[in-house]
Amino acid sequence: MTKPVCIIGGGVAGMQVALVLSSLAVPSVLIERSPTLGGRVTRLSKTFPFFNDDGFNDGKEFTDSLERDVRAASLVSVRCGTTVTALHGDFPNFTVELADGSHIPAGAVVVATGFTAFDPTSLPEYGYGVYPNVITATELEWMLNPRGPTGGKLVRPSDGRPAERLAIVFCVGSRNKRIGAPFCSRICCSYSTKQASTVMERNPKALVACFYMDVRTYDRGFEEMYSLAQERGVRYIRGRVSMCRQLPDNSISVRAENTLLNRPFSGEFDLVSLSTGMRPCEDVNHLATTLGITRGPDGFFLCREWFRHPHDATRDGIFLAGCATGMKPIRNCMIDGAAVAARVTALLREANA
Amino acid sequence: MNSDIKRSEQMFPAALLAKRSEELKDISDNELVQAYESMRDEEGAAGAAFPNIKRLYGTALEREKDRREIRGQAEHCDGETQKWYEEARNAPCTWWLENHLVAKRALKSCIGCGICTARCPAAHYFPEYNPRTIVDAALAKNEDRLVELLKSDILWYCGQCASCKPKCSRENNLMGLISSLRFLAQLKGYHLCSVRGRQQYAMRHLCGGNLWNRACTLYFRNVDAEHHPDFGPRYARYHAEVDDQMVRLGASPDRPGPFGGRKLPPQTIAEFRACLAAGGTLVLWNQLEQWAAEDAIKKGLSIEEYHDRVSREG
Amino acid sequence: MAIAFNALPEVIKEIPENDFFLTPSCILGAVNPGTEILIGRIYDLLGLRWRAAGDRAESQCTCCTGFSSHGDLISIESTLLVAARLWSVAVELGFENIATACVTSFAIHSECLELLKHEPGLEARVDRWLQQACGRRLHIPKHVVHGSDIVWRYRDALAQKLRYRLVDHKTGRPLRVVDHVGCHYAKVFPEKSIGGAESCAVLTGPILAWGGETVDYPERRHCCGMGFRQCAMRPNRGYTMACVLKKLESMQPWEPDLILTNCPGCNLFLDKEQWAIREITGTEYNIPTLSYSELAGLLLGWDPYDVVGIQCHTVPIEPFLDKIGIPYDKSKEWITNQSKEALREVR
Repeated sequence: MTKPVCIIGGGVAGMQVALVLSSLAVPSVLIERSPTLGGRVTRLSKTFPFFNDDGFNDGKEFTDSLERDVRAASLVSVRCGTTVTALHGDFPNFTVELADGSHIPAGAVVVATGFTAFDPTSLPEYGYGVYPNVITATELEWMLNPRGPTGGKLVRPSDGRPAERLAIVFCVGSRNKRIGAPFCSRICCSYSTKQASTVMERNPKALVACFYMDVRTYDRGFEEMYSLAQERGVRYIRGRVSMCRQLPDNSISVRAENTLLNRPFSGEFDLVSLSTGMRPCEDVNHLATTLGITRGPDGFFLCREWFRHPHDATRDGIFLAGCATGMKPIRNCMIDGAAVAARVTALLREANA
Repeated sequence: MNSDIKRSEQMFPAALLAKRSEELKDISDNELVQAYESMRDEEGAAGAAFPNIKRLYGTALEREKDRREIRGQAEHCDGETQKWYEEARNAPCTWWLENHLVAKRALKSCIGCGICTARCPAAHYFPEYNPRTIVDAALAKNEDRLVELLKSDILWYCGQCASCKPKCSRENNLMGLISSLRFLAQLKGYHLCSVRGRQQYAMRHLCGGNLWNRACTLYFRNVDAEHHPDFGPRYARYHAEVDDQMVRLGASPDRPGPFGGRKLPPQTIAEFRACLAAGGTLVLWNQLEQWAAEDAIKKGLSIEEYHDRVSREG
Repeated sequence: MAIAFNALPEVIKEIPENDFFLTPSCILGAVNPGTEILIGRIYDLLGLRWRAAGDRAESQCTCCTGFSSHGDLISIESTLLVAARLWSVAVELGFENIATACVTSFAIHSECLELLKHEPGLEARVDRWLQQACGRRLHIPKHVVHGSDIVWRYRDALAQKLRYRLVDHKTGRPLRVVDHVGCHYAKVFPEKSIGGAESCAVLTGPILAWGGETVDYPERRHCCGMGFRQCAMRPNRGYTMACVLKKLESMQPWEPDLILTNCPGCNLFLDKEQWAIREITGTEYNIPTLSYSELAGLLLGWDPYDVVGIQCHTVPIEPFLDKIGIPYDKSKEWITNQSKEALREVR
């Protein structure tokens, strides 16, 4: 009996790895730190509009459908509420030790631990954590979700009144050498545009302004989404926001330069959403040490060969899927998952031959 | 011998103080300096102010004496920094950007995010001012654009507050770049092409004069009601009795002692001046004098009239 | 009302506890002389060792050239040498710590330190130039701090000694104090300030320790507009006035009782331009402005006119004293209507 593949992380990438391995008749153990599967996609209000519509109304419908299939797959064993504390042995004979004391023999390990959103509390110029009407994109997403705290309505946290004027600040925590994060988080322009477009779609009278340096809606269908957002009335102002200040009525004054007009800009908004960039998952240090794999200069796990083996970690038998190598769209996490499953299967067959 | 005594009698106090700089030109450098210093160091009653300092500051005598002294000190200084600035004066602006101690480390790269301009108080106040365009000109390394910048008023709007510095995504030092370019503009005489640039001649004598003679950028008598009517009548009242108020508070107006207004011993002033000279500053000051003299002639003004005009223009 | 950024900052720089060479300020010395003398008095009260000048005739303390340097008149090398000379004077007195009365000095000394650290060979060159110029050697000081850093550090100790607190003595209401931190303290090298550029705590610390309340308003971090050449030349001074007006307009809805500063320029212009602003716009803001040392002196019960020097201010400070319940003898304000004998007694 082949030893199972141990997948660390029960988000969409991890679940996809498990499902594709299962379709290739390879068993797996899916280990998830939190009590439930699904990861970050669960709280998304809407996935990006694409050319074919999978028919999911929100993130939870999507993750639920994945989870149903995972639970139905006999070759997949799910362990929630636990973490990996040690890794013994070598490829293809690992033993994974879990926090609950159990030891799992594994032929290979897949790291699908995702990312953490940057915490903007450390950038006091935006007032996050001090001014109630400054929130993060994650919080905005949850607010826009009909399952969320306001039933999908945009409100000002300070007084609960409807928020008609929304500012979305791009590049919070990314593309900033000064704070040691020179990289681009790649997906924020796109998710921000999606959020802005959603707000305008629901309330054509709203004022939504996106403050950008570049609009990197790079993937298939994303530029079209950007175009649609603008047609719906989303304003795009080119200038990095320098600070947010609270006014006497708790509205927020947003300061930037409109670099296309060469003039400083100042506008008042009911709500400001900080499109935060990515950081590696919270326990990335511990994982890197425990598993014996290296990280790149941006903190995310490094692959062994950039082009030929982009999913191999720097140690034999350990593989990387999903946002563990950097934030990417859901679809790319799914593609990653499938690619890793194929790679692991091939290597395991070769090792056991 | 007799004529010498007669000469020194002629030179002593009030006569010289009232003279304009062209009237002082027949007096030799040494005589002028000695006359100034003897007046400056004449003591009053014990513990009281040195009485002549307040008569000497800001006068044509002081300015003319400064001109001579600074020329002399620069001539005798063969420091390597002085030479560096003398040569830099003739090199292209692009050379300066790569070699000046401040300029060469001021800019790395710019994504044009505009966060500097968003915070800049001057950008909010002056409609035509945009600090981001200064970065662009410097990074373009285009000599013509740089010269145009150095000749414009735009270079002089920055208030050196550093609001831009903590925010720059690429860790640039825009304030330092502007400061460095301003130095270059003056060396090359480009500052003469803008109203605000020409003001530097007045700055040279106001701040520079205070530094040279009192080793302190501001002299308490400079900030009087006449030059600062915006401070209102209460301040005018205070300044009318400023000597007594300063003594009361523990300062040392025009006398040896600690804190505000203190008269420093000549030995300290000498060390201070030596530091200025060794650092190459006198190259700038001499250059400013030269440019001002030329510009004054072009405009048909005496140097004192020119000095007066540039401090009021705009 | 948001009480923003009042938590103890995560990164607190190392502030030495004693032994300071105090460098005086050009602007304070010229227009607000009591302010910097008070710094020395506060250090004396705390039992700290400090000096502001060397003993030899050639070792007196000069300007750091900061104002002139930002007025584009001084080369960076001259500034390095002048700073190095001051450090050498400090060493003569056995001090390793520089405390500056002025924030521009603080940034100048810090900039010199950074350049010397990062530019290859510069230390040796400056040492050589200094020797050639005036026979001194380069000694890098251990610490460079600003006067307000030390008051921040000892704010609780001072709180114990205060006779009065930042409280309306009739109603018990904590006074609302706007903290205006000098740009050159917090923005040039944010990592060398307490709390950084955006959430600077150097003034909010004492405000809270001494019983007051802080105010967060939109233009809180806006420069006062002093601008060096902008305030020095009359034609340019509109910029300074406009910046002061912008701040006053922005803070007015919170009805602050006081503006607290740690920078000589800010202390000067936020106070003195209020008269011109009234004349030009018709609005009288009447918000008293004090430096941290003046405020400490008043709360400690030192004489408002003889020691603190509130008469130097354009916006009268007396109403603020009334709020706190600090007594004063208004007849002592000006000297010319007093006999000289009375003045000598008082000192």
